[in-house]
Amino acid sequence: MRRILLFPIAIALQAQSPDPAFFESKIRPVLAASCYGCHSSKMKSPMGGLVLDTKAGLRNGGATGPAIVPGKPAESRLLTALRYTDPHVQMPPSGKLAQPVIDNFETWIAAGAIDPRIDTVAATASGPLKGMSVEDGRKWWAFQPVKELPAPAVKDSAWLRRKIDAFLLARLEQKNLTPSPRADKRTLVQRLYIDLLGLRPTYDEIESFVSDTSPGAYAKLVDRLLGSKHYGEAWGRHWLDVARYAEDNPTSEATNPPYPYAWRYRDWVIEALNNDVPYDRFIKLQLAADKLPDTRREDLRALGYLGAAPVYHKDQRLSYDVIFTFLSDDWDERVDAVTRGLLGLTVACARCHDHKFDPIPTKDYYGLASVFASTMRSERPTFDVDPQIELRFQWAQRRLFDLAYSRNLLTGEASTVVGSEERVARWKQEIATLQTEIEAWRERYPILVQTLEKYWREPQKQARQAVNARRRPGASEDPFMNTVYDAAQYVDGSDANYTWLTYKPGEPRDLPVFLRGNVAIPGDPAPRRFLSVLSNGDGKLTNGSGRLELAEKIFKDAAPLTARVIVNRVWAWHFGKPIAGTPSDFGTQGDKPTHPELLDDLAARFIANGWSLKWLHREILLSAAWQQASNRRSEGDRADQINSLLWRQNPRRLDIESYRDSILRIAGTLNENVYGVSQDLDAEANTRRTIYGRVGRGRLNGLLKLYDFPEATQTAPARDLTTTPLQQLFVMNGAFIRGQANVVAKAVETEPDNNARLRALYRRILARDPSPKELDLGLTYLAQGKLEEYAHILLSTNEVLFQK
Amino acid sequence: MNRRQLIQQMCGGLGSVGLAAMLEQHAQAAVGGHYTGPLMPGKAKKVIFLFLAGGPSQVDMFDNKPLLFKFQGQRPGTVDLRTERQTGGLLPSPFKFQKYGKSGIELSELLPQMGTIIDDVCVIKSMYTFNPTHTPARSLIHSGSILATRPSLGAWISYGLGTENENLPAFVALSPGGNGGGSLLRSGFLPAEYQGTPFSDSEVEPEKMIANLRNKWLDKEAQRHQLDAIQALNKEFSAGFGADDFLEGRIQSMEAAYRMQFEAMDVFDIRKESDAIRAEYGATPFGNGCLLARRLVEKGVRYVHVYHNAGQDWDDHKDIEKNLRGRCPDMDKAAAALIRDLKRRGLLDETLVVWGGEFGRTPVSESGTGRDHNPYGFTMWMAGGGVKGGLAYGNTDEFGFKAVENRVSIHDLHATILHQIGIDHTKLTYRYAGRDFRLTDVFGEVVKDILI
Repeated sequence: MRRILLFPIAIALQAQSPDPAFFESKIRPVLAASCYGCHSSKMKSPMGGLVLDTKAGLRNGGATGPAIVPGKPAESRLLTALRYTDPHVQMPPSGKLAQPVIDNFETWIAAGAIDPRIDTVAATASGPLKGMSVEDGRKWWAFQPVKELPAPAVKDSAWLRRKIDAFLLARLEQKNLTPSPRADKRTLVQRLYIDLLGLRPTYDEIESFVSDTSPGAYAKLVDRLLGSKHYGEAWGRHWLDVARYAEDNPTSEATNPPYPYAWRYRDWVIEALNNDVPYDRFIKLQLAADKLPDTRREDLRALGYLGAAPVYHKDQRLSYDVIFTFLSDDWDERVDAVTRGLLGLTVACARCHDHKFDPIPTKDYYGLASVFASTMRSERPTFDVDPQIELRFQWAQRRLFDLAYSRNLLTGEASTVVGSEERVARWKQEIATLQTEIEAWRERYPILVQTLEKYWREPQKQARQAVNARRRPGASEDPFMNTVYDAAQYVDGSDANYTWLTYKPGEPRDLPVFLRGNVAIPGDPAPRRFLSVLSNGDGKLTNGSGRLELAEKIFKDAAPLTARVIVNRVWAWHFGKPIAGTPSDFGTQGDKPTHPELLDDLAARFIANGWSLKWLHREILLSAAWQQASNRRSEGDRADQINSLLWRQNPRRLDIESYRDSILRIAGTLNENVYGVSQDLDAEANTRRTIYGRVGRGRLNGLLKLYDFPEATQTAPARDLTTTPLQQLFVMNGAFIRGQANVVAKAVETEPDNNARLRALYRRILARDPSPKELDLGLTYLAQGKLEEYAHILLSTNEVLFQK
Repeated sequence: MNRRQLIQQMCGGLGSVGLAAMLEQHAQAAVGGHYTGPLMPGKAKKVIFLFLAGGPSQVDMFDNKPLLFKFQGQRPGTVDLRTERQTGGLLPSPFKFQKYGKSGIELSELLPQMGTIIDDVCVIKSMYTFNPTHTPARSLIHSGSILATRPSLGAWISYGLGTENENLPAFVALSPGGNGGGSLLRSGFLPAEYQGTPFSDSEVEPEKMIANLRNKWLDKEAQRHQLDAIQALNKEFSAGFGADDFLEGRIQSMEAAYRMQFEAMDVFDIRKESDAIRAEYGATPFGNGCLLARRLVEKGVRYVHVYHNAGQDWDDHKDIEKNLRGRCPDMDKAAAALIRDLKRRGLLDETLVVWGGEFGRTPVSESGTGRDHNPYGFTMWMAGGGVKGGLAYGNTDEFGFKAVENRVSIHDLHATILHQIGIDHTKLTYRYAGRDFRLTDVFGEVVKDILI
């Protein structure tokens, strides 16, 4: 008894008489001999950012947090590292120090870690970079209310068609620039088709517009195209870039298999845009369709935005910390997608430290991460189900998968976890219990039971096949949707050899701040909340996961910012260039708008018009600015070469979807059916629009990749369109264009002579008649060359890929 | 966007070089690079990364640990590290080790050919990484992060230094079947043009390796004729519309593609090498890949990644002796031939060759005859490109489990590779989503001790 008591007493005594000499004799020499080699302020980048040769360095710690907590040995990372108890942090790496030395460190920390060193200014001056405070942030331009502004006065008022023109013209006139004349009708109709439908118009479609001389002909065409079912295909694809839509995961392993029903989310997006679902409702449904009253069952497809998001594989044999890190990476992706995609804010920067530039503290980051820690992905049936059974079904599908996966893992030949049999027996028992419960649903909901029975089916080989089958890519037409529901996600590390993920339906989970982003170092609590700088009131989210309140705050508290962000994106999709140059970053590091009043006025009127995207399209497409010619002019080039003032329309290069779809349409082979299950784009028989092609995160289709399709592992601010020789090899030598060229050639070969054949080719491919010179060039070629070669030549020209 | 960025965006990627240089009116040896930091003293211009997916076993190839015999079947306290799967006692290597070269570096009997060039090689025995699972560990070694959004080493290098040959990709990945996997090729948040271009080295005919390389319908002359017809129409169109960077860029790009067909048909065709050279490398996919890598760096390709075998072949959870005896000979032969050949041609100084997997294997057994994944300590080697030859650097503990002396993390490895091609790893950054990103994040120290 006495011996046991001695030690605490000794520490207590030490604590009462702090002695700098102890540091100098017992601690400093050890630090110098064993630590400074890697942890010195004299190094440009000390290991792990940890510096031990200054007092401040020792106190503040490195990348994983403070090295010591004076008076608290148990909370001091330095001591943990010295003790070699954590396999991930063992210092010094050359070998554990002698036990008495480690004991000295414990004694010293317990006594308050007296450190008599006096840091030089140089060693302490480089404090962390501090971002904007929340108070200052409230004054940031992007967060200010938007209001309709009077149209500025201009000299050439005859040019104006819509209000946006006045804002643009006023700036042009300041620079002594004039806008470009209206593009010719032929150009306008082609531009409209490509912009709104992503398809080139046919010769007849062009002619019918050109010959329509009625005063409202242009507006009528805009309305007709906005009403086309193909509008949603072209504009849905724009949104899917922001929503980082894909049908699988970066690795698609056992625990993060592909999403076979993600295509239903894609269809929902197309349908919602065709129906002009207001943007606020469009987003609320994607974040919280399951929690919004008066929601149609079909609208649950919208949850694919979160339910088919990228997640990492979690091998349950890994440690608690490793699995927890993977899980927090999943949540991080959600925070990033929502904040950059919807709010134009780089909140994910605040995962490891307060945002270094913008008014976003880590507490805000973890407040949002908590929302996603309380949200679990699930597969729901497309048909109505008793809500209680549906909730249970969503939980059970994941639990059963985990149990079956674990059982297989520890039963296979690779299994050597000690005590496997006992664990496997326990898990089998749980599977059996769930089986009994679920079998009771069979009469009412046979399909639900059928999707789960693979997990208990014997022999086990079949169950293993079922688990493995989940890894294969491929869309399914079974009646399910990839969605989410409210369930707190936890990592259970109680079994040292086997880590579990657990899901608590209906429960929220509030995370703490994780210091330096490290899940092993929890800090202050960070309950579910919206961003402080944008919140009216305390910003707390209390209803379940908080998804619905989050969605509501995005459109109430943050409405001005949200409207600016989407108006800016839509503007960029129409003009090829945004008003604010960084569409996903409206923070202090982003580009300021070239026309702030225009952006504010348009955003205010967008809100006033019920967040209607089709209203916004009309406002832009009916403007004189949009209808300008796109040719360069020397005075414009001299004053504003990059056309930031819009003295001309920007010519555009077709994206891969418009390019491929237009070529199919030219050949007459395009399957114009809307909606449906995804298909492999490379399949020769696939003549559907490109948006229905399968999109992979692990392996992206080669054609999409070749033409700058964004990687769907994260939200894409914009496409970077490049022009490369490999693309030209696809055009010149690939089977796709050649095949379509053959089809076109076949269709015109019955014409009486080469002259007529050429004219027919021009009408089909370039939707116009050839000039005499072009006719001459063609006739010369056809004197020796073949018709399908010339079709291939016309399909390869810049004119097909480029829109004036 | 300024004019330079505009030009790069309009005509970036392969073949952009000629045009960009023309428009910028100042030609450089390497064009399109974005690195603006100080030039590091490293002399290398190209990197060849030989990759053995699955985790090659260091204690059976490079890291001789006689104590494994003494403690065979036992599990001393220092080896009690958590592994992905449950492991048993220490498993001695069944392979004999001997000293090679003037340096006397020890190699196992699996690597006799490596023995002949070992004085040009720096064996790093003290590598470590941060994850024991294949995919994240591969992502770590390829991109420095487990996140699926980060660019790979090859993408960073081609972004940083641009390309030396307008007719070939700057970053090539060779593997049987031509799919190196996501993290290897990834350009992440960098523009797509910097992603790796995958080719299959199980083929030897260039037209089978490169999609759409050959025109199946027209010969060279007829194709020129067809291209002339396209360009004539393109010029008509430009004349009608006026000057435009994209229109001009695509005209140039088509010319580059036309030239590339023939240059690539030549460069990618290893059958143009002598029989003696082909025999020296070995007529296996890896032998072909190593030989092709040499041909590519000769022609100015910046970064070539060569996978040994498909899948994660080096994942020896069981039967490690039989597996390694089967798998090592062609790897040993081709890797050694590459070093020898580069040296003969005077290319070794400017070519950094790196060899390794995503992690190593445990000295303790799994299922009696195999070894589990080991991120705590493993071996990689480097040769050429200003790295000291005949050096064994760093050490693992007495059983070869954990790196303990002169530890080198994968961030240190990346920092060192960048340093050797002239880049300060803290200065090669890309502004994305509100902050500057680096290949090495906030980590990484150049391993100065192994540099000449």
